[in-house]
Amino acid sequence: MLNKERIYEIIDFVIKEAEGYNTQVLVFSNEMGLTRFAKSEIHQNVFEDKTEVIITILEGKKQSQIATTLYDKEGLRAAVKEAINNLKFLPEGEVELSLVSSPKLIEDEDFNKELDTVFNIEGRARLIKQGINLLEPGYKTYGALSYGIMNVAYGNSIGIKRFMKGNNVEFNVLVSNEKGGTGYAQLISNRPGDLDIIGAFKIAYEKAKMNRNPMRIKPGPYTVILEPLAVGDLLTYMAYIGFSGKSVQDHRSFLTGKKGEKIFDERITIVDDFTDENTLTLPFDTEGYPRQKVTIIENGIVKDLVYDQASAIKDGVKSTGHSINMFEIGGMPLNLVMLAGDQSLEEIIKSTENGLLITRFHYMNVVNPRQAILTALTRDGVFKIENGKIVGAVENMRFTESMFEAFNNVIAISRERQRTKAFIGNYYVPALKIKNFHFTGNTNV
Amino acid sequence: MKEKILKVLEVLKKHRVDYADIRVNDIMEEKISTENLKVRNLSTSRSRGYGIRVYLDGSMGFAASQDFDKMEETALKALEIAKASRLIQHRPIQLAPKEVVIDHYETPIKIDPFTISKKEKLDLLFEAEREMRRHAELFRTLGSMDFRKEEKIFADTEGSFITQKLYESGCGIEAIAANENDMQSRSYPNSFRGNFGTSGYEYILEQKLVENAGDIAKEAAALLEAEECPSGVFDIIIDGSQLALQIHESIGHPIELDRVFGSEADFAGTSFLSPDMIGFKYGSEYVNVVADATVPLGLGTFGYDDDGVKAQRTEIITKGIFKNFLTSRETASLLNQPSNGTNRADGWGRAPIVRMTNINLLPGDKELDELIAGIDYGFFFKTNKSWSIDDKRLNFQFGCEIAYEIKDGKLTGKIFKNPIYTGITPEFWASCDGVCNEKYWKMYGTPNCGKGQPLQIAHVGHGAAPARFRNIKVGVADVK
Repeated sequence: MLNKERIYEIIDFVIKEAEGYNTQVLVFSNEMGLTRFAKSEIHQNVFEDKTEVIITILEGKKQSQIATTLYDKEGLRAAVKEAINNLKFLPEGEVELSLVSSPKLIEDEDFNKELDTVFNIEGRARLIKQGINLLEPGYKTYGALSYGIMNVAYGNSIGIKRFMKGNNVEFNVLVSNEKGGTGYAQLISNRPGDLDIIGAFKIAYEKAKMNRNPMRIKPGPYTVILEPLAVGDLLTYMAYIGFSGKSVQDHRSFLTGKKGEKIFDERITIVDDFTDENTLTLPFDTEGYPRQKVTIIENGIVKDLVYDQASAIKDGVKSTGHSINMFEIGGMPLNLVMLAGDQSLEEIIKSTENGLLITRFHYMNVVNPRQAILTALTRDGVFKIENGKIVGAVENMRFTESMFEAFNNVIAISRERQRTKAFIGNYYVPALKIKNFHFTGNTNV
Repeated sequence: MKEKILKVLEVLKKHRVDYADIRVNDIMEEKISTENLKVRNLSTSRSRGYGIRVYLDGSMGFAASQDFDKMEETALKALEIAKASRLIQHRPIQLAPKEVVIDHYETPIKIDPFTISKKEKLDLLFEAEREMRRHAELFRTLGSMDFRKEEKIFADTEGSFITQKLYESGCGIEAIAANENDMQSRSYPNSFRGNFGTSGYEYILEQKLVENAGDIAKEAAALLEAEECPSGVFDIIIDGSQLALQIHESIGHPIELDRVFGSEADFAGTSFLSPDMIGFKYGSEYVNVVADATVPLGLGTFGYDDDGVKAQRTEIITKGIFKNFLTSRETASLLNQPSNGTNRADGWGRAPIVRMTNINLLPGDKELDELIAGIDYGFFFKTNKSWSIDDKRLNFQFGCEIAYEIKDGKLTGKIFKNPIYTGITPEFWASCDGVCNEKYWKMYGTPNCGKGQPLQIAHVGHGAAPARFRNIKVGVADVK
């Protein structure tokens, strides 16, 4: 992994090689170690050290981009040459992009040194072993514990520089009984206080114990309590299909034509907030634009969208700093935070006469983006609630539901919130109690 | 390079490893996207590095770097990781035996896609876009081309030294119609950036994008005005492109032996199959499936896998009966079998895991008209739009771009939008009562198969022809 000084050297070298051109350079330099276990044994244990340099040259409405892992002088020269050569035949794109011009410098660090020692190769193995030692005979555990260090930098030919150093631990654990019944827990953070690996093992283990002899129930509408992992999954897909300016421009989004309209229950507020300490700290985007805090849904009303530069120009607004260097997506919220409610999850369960408690979803996908219809399967713990008590486990089912319906049928929102893994980074969300949530199929033969 | 690799392997041998291999990948990719007759994206990428896999006392370690001056250091890192793995190793990992091989393999191509100018590629996409727009009023048109060249070196402590040069080409177009309330699209030759194969630029020319642009444009516009597909239980015919994904999700994934043993239990899921289910009735007598890493054009076609095992053809389902899993050296050893060569990594930075090669539904003996003639009332479903399947690979739900009505054994000409069908894997394949013949059979490439932690994206293939399925649940009646 390269340090800030070496990365800045690379950026300066590329800009010098492309003298006379509007050039921007993006560098990702990461180290990641991951220990994977199955059947209570380590079966994969890996380490990767990778640096990628992405060079973009802008000329009027033309944009040429080359990515390379060959960051020696020869490799960078070849990449610059190719990027410049492309301009000769490239037809114009839709909009004229410009290099970010302010502020001159953004440098940030969200790096916790303590993680280096606790989650090194041997440390990860020891923590997993402690977790395995908790289990009684008949239970096995499966999962992955990873520790990554990430340096992200940006520079351009008008002297702008950006740098961010961070580190992060991700842990997911499943405990399974040999006669069936699984439980699951997930952690993602760079704060040691959030990373109770043994606590996560215990949660997964308790759920696996509860998730025995599941009853089969008929598909149909049910009152559900979605734990944060399940809510995070819904938000991940809603963000992907609908929270960007480009998705509305393309008529893909369920928010198309709905700005200012109340579409969800008034208790639903969703903000993309990179300043929230419970989400990924990355104060600039892949075009170097400072990331903005964007309120997407406020009290159920559609407020604003996230933009990269191209989609912002098209809508006559400023970039919100949400480029992920994927032109077809045009901007992606990485830091979604959902407003909490005023009841604890325990209180929500107690106040439920008849319902289902859902741990998480599996293999979600979009059935109809304009109607915000999503589908997925439940996984690793569905529990029947009667008269405020969990009375037993339920077999997995498929839901197919419009998020317009689901987020209008909210009965309660939990006070507690949890970090949940998104496509990139993580969100921070509560549990939701929703009525008339449609299950459309069972999963067992 | 060869000298350096062999030297590092010698160092690892001195540390008394059970086994080690070094894999060097040099991957070049070119992605071109057009939208509304403008360039949306033109980018190339180059990724070069190496990964070193070590087994020590039955425990695994893997380390990867792009710094070739630090190869020995990286090897020792892999060794250190393997030592840490020993802390939790009740059953030492063993590798099934394989032949020692010194060989070179190259994808047979006619035209190296990287020798064709980007301008020529863009011109073809623009022409296809213009053709779509000539035939219908469209909200958006899209075009794309993707090319990949991968040069690989594989060497291990057993004495194998294998080099490979693999090429991939792919392209697609999409017509999108939209109004205030809806958006509908049609794609050719497949959705999600089209179709892909191990081939040169000739593959792009063979797709005939311009010649097929008009038809999908007209269908996209017509879909905007079409009725929603009815819900109920119907007989359906599924076209090859959608069937490819059906095979992928409900046959390809559940037969991966590492999933069966729980390697993906917390992430991608497990399988409804268990090692003792060889002989299980997977489907009807019409269902014949092979895993074939040697078939021309297959995106899962190569010379050798990342264990250094030769590409091969393996029977998976014969006349509906399940015959074999997909295996690596590590998983095959647990069944006392040799590997059938499906261990692949998605690049130098990842350790190989069991991946599909080309999982092909073999052609049957039916004409498409025959399949249609056998349906009183039902639908012909085409082109995937969405997919989802449970963590044991049983309950699936697929959405398609279009459904054509079949009435009294004939296509009526009426189309429906947003068709969905759902089912349970063995029941679904048991309901198959006819597959079209070789004339309709085609290879489809799936370049986005996700599995593993850290995530790996595999490029795999599926050969299929349209097939008929009886009494399938269509639609989700009570969801708005």
